[in-house]
Amino acid sequence: MIVKRRVAIIAALSIAAMTALIVWKPTVLIYGLQAAGLYAAVAIPMGLVLGIVHIVNLAHGECMMLAAYAAYFGCKALGMDPLVAILPTAIVTAIFGWVVFQLTIRRALKAPELNQLILTFGLAIAFSQAINLIFTSQTYKMPLEYVSASMDIGDISFGVWSFVFVAVAIIFAYGLTFFLTKTMTGKAAVAVGQNPRGAAIVGIDVYRTYGLVFALALALVGAMGALFLTKSAIFPGVGSPFTMKSFCLIAMAGIGNIPGILGASVLLGVAENFLRAFRPTRDWAEIVFFVLIIVVILARSLKGRKS
Amino acid sequence: MLRIQNLDCGYGRMKVIDGVDFEVGAESVGLFGPNGAGKSTLIGAVMGMVKPWKGSIELDGQRIDGAETYAIARMGVALVPQERELFPGMSVYDNLVLGAAYIPHAKDDIPTQLEKVFTLFPILKERRTQCAGTMSGGQQRMLAIGRALMSKPRLLILDEPSLGLQPSIVAEVFEVLKRLKSSVSILVTEQNVRESLKAIDRGYVLENGRIVLKDSAEGLQTNPYVIKSYLGI
Ligand SMILES: Nc1ncnc2c1ncn2[C@@H]1O[C@H](COP(=O)(O)OP(=O)(O)O)[C@@H](O)[C@H]1O
Ligand SMILES: [Mg+2]
Repeated sequence: MIVKRRVAIIAALSIAAMTALIVWKPTVLIYGLQAAGLYAAVAIPMGLVLGIVHIVNLAHGECMMLAAYAAYFGCKALGMDPLVAILPTAIVTAIFGWVVFQLTIRRALKAPELNQLILTFGLAIAFSQAINLIFTSQTYKMPLEYVSASMDIGDISFGVWSFVFVAVAIIFAYGLTFFLTKTMTGKAAVAVGQNPRGAAIVGIDVYRTYGLVFALALALVGAMGALFLTKSAIFPGVGSPFTMKSFCLIAMAGIGNIPGILGASVLLGVAENFLRAFRPTRDWAEIVFFVLIIVVILARSLKGRKS
Repeated sequence: MLRIQNLDCGYGRMKVIDGVDFEVGAESVGLFGPNGAGKSTLIGAVMGMVKPWKGSIELDGQRIDGAETYAIARMGVALVPQERELFPGMSVYDNLVLGAAYIPHAKDDIPTQLEKVFTLFPILKERRTQCAGTMSGGQQRMLAIGRALMSKPRLLILDEPSLGLQPSIVAEVFEVLKRLKSSVSILVTEQNVRESLKAIDRGYVLENGRIVLKDSAEGLQTNPYVIKSYLGI
């Protein structure tokens, strides 16, 4: 009951804040939502891996970077549009994810958490350095006309292409929720996440499930890599901020809370763009993630101490 | 059915099970012994959760020592663990369905198995949409038994099914065991020897990782050592 009332209060406050923003600075809201879509779509697969395999994949953003490079050179070679490359990239990164899981992560699942972090951090460095060695630190960008499509409402004008990230985030969130709650394979994955011993007892191959979940997450991140390429220039370090931001979002939402990731992304995307809209605070936008995560963690530990 | 020969196993360097010979046929078998005797460890070895150091474990003549837990479960061995090991965030219904979904010989009969389990434990039917983690200890134990039965097991293993339950529910659990006896081989560990002797055909007494006694239920009931140490008369 109390929880419901609190949710209602938060919802009412956010609607009020959004309405105020629409009137006062509409573009902050628009670009904030677009950024939120991108952040959420990248964070959701990382949350999936953390929720079920219980691994913090510090190479998550780097995996998206690898996918974007693969999509870029695939598109160049075949004269394809990155949008056409989404599915093939997803398939390739899924296979890549399966192999990475079997060769490395699988062996660290019983190791202490610190060793797991060191492993995935090592993978992140290996991935970005490998790309740096092969393709140098040069940036690559796809020249695409449709990404500059814009729209005018009244006297404001804004780019609309990035709304595609919002759509993808919503598709990821709903698709995954459906998969995890309505299909048998998904339920088995949830069961493995909640109690691997119990899952093995009922005949579920726990390690195979971990591998499949990791591959699925990489498929999603691979699709995002190709989509990211439509909008942004890519370079070896392009993925790493996404690792940290995804981790912040998951920590804010709480493990296993996919709708929470959407909510946290909107909060952070809008906050970032709000700061960016004013000259004196522009440079503060980059740290808003970290400030908010500290606030959330402090609030949670204070609440934990009270109860 | 199940045949264990000269089994040694343990944790790290500590040997817990020491040269155990053990058999379960088409019958109900009890495994008794004080806390820490190694009952759960022996069951862990059968289920592939504790790796055997020496000796063999066979299921219908096929070696299963060294096999993975999920593979042993798929061969028809169902475990009701001491710690229940349910999926706490999932509904009673989902817990039950998952009991059968990955067992080749059971996954096509989920509706009929559900009916059987609901007949044995009407409370599970009433609560089928409830989150497993929010149920009482007794209800969770029934759910764990129900989940095991969903897999149409050939061998049902129960590790201390009466542990921590109030007497009325203990009686209900043993009543169910008696009803199941005719259709499935049962291996049950217990500290509540008095109640379980009514539900089993034969029993073993395990102390410090060794089998110190094995006899029929009647034999155990009248054995002076069992009477003194376990029946507390
Ligand atoms: N996971 C474990 N790691 C290390 N030692 C264990 C573990 N589980 C049980 N033991 C030890 O093995 C011995 C037998 O335990 P257990 O098989 O649980 O006995 P029982 O089920 O008969 O009470 C005990 O001394 C216990 O401390
Ligand atoms: Mg025990």
